[in-house]
Amino acid sequence: MKKMKVEERLTLTKFEVYGEPHIILRREKCKGCDFKICISSCPAGLFTLDETGEIKFTYEGCLECGTCRIVCPENAIEWNYPLGGFGVQYMFG
Amino acid sequence: MSERYDVIVVGGGPAGLSTAYFLADHGYNTIVLERGSEPGSKNVFGGRIYTYPLDKYFPDWRKDAPIERWVRREALSILCEDNIVNLEYEIDRKPNGYDSFTAFLSRFLKWLALKVEEKNVVVATNVRVDEILFRDNIAYGVRIGDDKLEAEYIVIAEGANTLLSERHGLRRKISPRDIAVGIKEVIRLGREKINERFCLGDEEGLAQFLIGSRFGGGFIYTMKEYVSIGVIYRPLLNNQIEAKDVIEELKIHPHLSKLLRDGVPVEYSAHIVREAGYSDLMHKPYGRGYIVVGDAAGLILNTGFTVRGVDLAIESGRLAAEAIHKTPPGEEPAVYMKLLREKEIIKTLKKFRKVSKILSNERIYTKYPEYICQILDKIYTVDELPETLNESFKKAVGGKTSIIRLIFELLTMVRSL
Repeated sequence: MKKMKVEERLTLTKFEVYGEPHIILRREKCKGCDFKICISSCPAGLFTLDETGEIKFTYEGCLECGTCRIVCPENAIEWNYPLGGFGVQYMFG
Repeated sequence: MSERYDVIVVGGGPAGLSTAYFLADHGYNTIVLERGSEPGSKNVFGGRIYTYPLDKYFPDWRKDAPIERWVRREALSILCEDNIVNLEYEIDRKPNGYDSFTAFLSRFLKWLALKVEEKNVVVATNVRVDEILFRDNIAYGVRIGDDKLEAEYIVIAEGANTLLSERHGLRRKISPRDIAVGIKEVIRLGREKINERFCLGDEEGLAQFLIGSRFGGGFIYTMKEYVSIGVIYRPLLNNQIEAKDVIEELKIHPHLSKLLRDGVPVEYSAHIVREAGYSDLMHKPYGRGYIVVGDAAGLILNTGFTVRGVDLAIESGRLAAEAIHKTPPGEEPAVYMKLLREKEIIKTLKKFRKVSKILSNERIYTKYPEYICQILDKIYTVDELPETLNESFKKAVGGKTSIIRLIFELLTMVRSL
């Protein structure tokens, strides 16, 4: 089977993207964090480092698994579910 | 939504829908509020459901429930670098005699929602509950955006990610050590290929647990036309591989890539799993006007070999409904805890309380698979200088750990399982 990148794998899953993010990253809290476990533990790979070394986050491919909020040692992630009907739409689950 | 309901159930997963189902039997006017656009559209699990609660409470469920395959083969496999060690148990029973079946949770919940609606329960979708309303520590309703909905009882069935419970101080945020992330891919392979490659009859399924040093724990469940494969990713242990890559890591193993050849991935999903077992169980999963069921209450059991979530959710829903029914107005439904104890749910969780510690021990994913593979490799490699089992063992393990420590660890593990 061909190796698939996560961006490609996410296109398999159906999303109904809402206009505003349901997860807000308080980046000022990330500054003192060396751990940055959000990057390695997000199954959708939505946390990345930008050129300046700051954490970037996009919400559109969020699988709503709940991991980032729990692993963040700085409580920098304000996590809510997307508005009713929006977000990930699992057909199999 | 101006009608007045006796009970509001927050969450249309296995626990919430079951609670509503049993409440209807007691004559309660119930509404289920589900944030997804359909029941099941936000739910993820591995792939197996145990039959006993369905047999007990859902007459004729086998006629129309979305059963994929009956689990006939149970396997526990250690994936080494290129090789695989299998322990298999094949169950030969009469049709209808199997303990569990494979399924897709989203489809199963659509079916369950229909059963609930047949009892005149309203299942409202696209509804996100933002807050549970309390007055003098008594829950009396929920807030949905700018709307309010009131009821005698609020059933909190929000699942493993306990946002609402935490928001209202009913639970603390779980430690990262006590969660795993189930990361799954569903692959379309076709019925014939599945039957052939996994040695299964048309209705027969495989449930396989995987252990491997590269990815940790994992699973395979065969469906009719699809295969679900997944990894139980532990963020604090597995951090040498990023979560987004673990599925590929699993799929490129020679054994799996052979089994899944020509398969077409159709869905990628993930959800946290609460792994702490007994210690994660809420001390008081109820209060005046509310009751907590299923994963949200900590009712999930990982025995090390099997994971039970849906069946415990159904049972807890039944007991929550009974507790609400038995509690006089204005009082706490404390009888819920008594019922959970009587039904041995709590005893079972307690019995397996040490398993979570084992499952979070890095060595069971790294060292042990390596030892076992090396020992077997030495035993079955035939050349001019064959080795005895003892020699193979010493060569595999020696130098890396003391035999005493290894024996001690294994004994501790066996005693807890």
